[in-house]
Amino acid sequence: MKAMPTLEGGLRIDSEDLADWEVLRSITIDATACDTDLANRLGSIISPEAGREDWQEFVVPDLREAFQDELTQIGATIEAAMFEADGGPGSIWITREDGFAWYSSFNQARLALEEQFAFGDSESLSPKGLTTHRRSAFIRSRFYCAIQGLLLEHVIK
Amino acid sequence: MAEIETLTLTNEETSTDVPWNVVVHDDPVNLMQYVTFVLIKIFGYSSKKATILMLQVHQQGRSIVWSGEREKAEFYVQQLQSHQLKTSLEKAE
Repeated sequence: MKAMPTLEGGLRIDSEDLADWEVLRSITIDATACDTDLANRLGSIISPEAGREDWQEFVVPDLREAFQDELTQIGATIEAAMFEADGGPGSIWITREDGFAWYSSFNQARLALEEQFAFGDSESLSPKGLTTHRRSAFIRSRFYCAIQGLLLEHVIK
Repeated sequence: MAEIETLTLTNEETSTDVPWNVVVHDDPVNLMQYVTFVLIKIFGYSSKKATILMLQVHQQGRSIVWSGEREKAEFYVQQLQSHQLKTSLEKAE
């Protein structure tokens, strides 16, 4: 898989084969794999004194919907590109307008992976000592992070 | 017809609201560059101020990024959470 900035201020991700497409599809799967969704996890940070109950009732549903909309959007883009490429070599073009939804989706996936696997400061973590399942999640998290870096550098800012 | 006179007494009291803090907490996922970007985007802070606050989050585990009236603080917390930053609201001491 290759990712590169475009002249229009976006990002292009080239997928080479079915394995690459599966990695891209895993973004939405990882993002929704936690028992408690991100909106709820964020809502639980609000203390009862600060109005946690109201927050859960009025804010969390809006956040949940916004996060889900972003995942739906990028999930549909990936599926369409994969279908067009018939699972073979193909590209995804991320425009400047869509950059934040992509960044946010990668972030949702990484936050969910962190919630499940608690990698912590991944800079100092070596994948060698990890179990297969954990190593696979760690590598996906690092991949998502690398694309986020490119999005921040070339698209969002 | 009897006339009824109404006397209205008005008693006004003014008290200063306790300010509320908007607190961003450290997490191992959100990139430092992203946290700075979000603080600039939401509060309109200068790059220098946003970087200082981001470093407080990173090094001290949390930073009070804004203080003021409750309603506005709630709005900012909502905005920061919509950018997936771990953010809470607390009464200023």
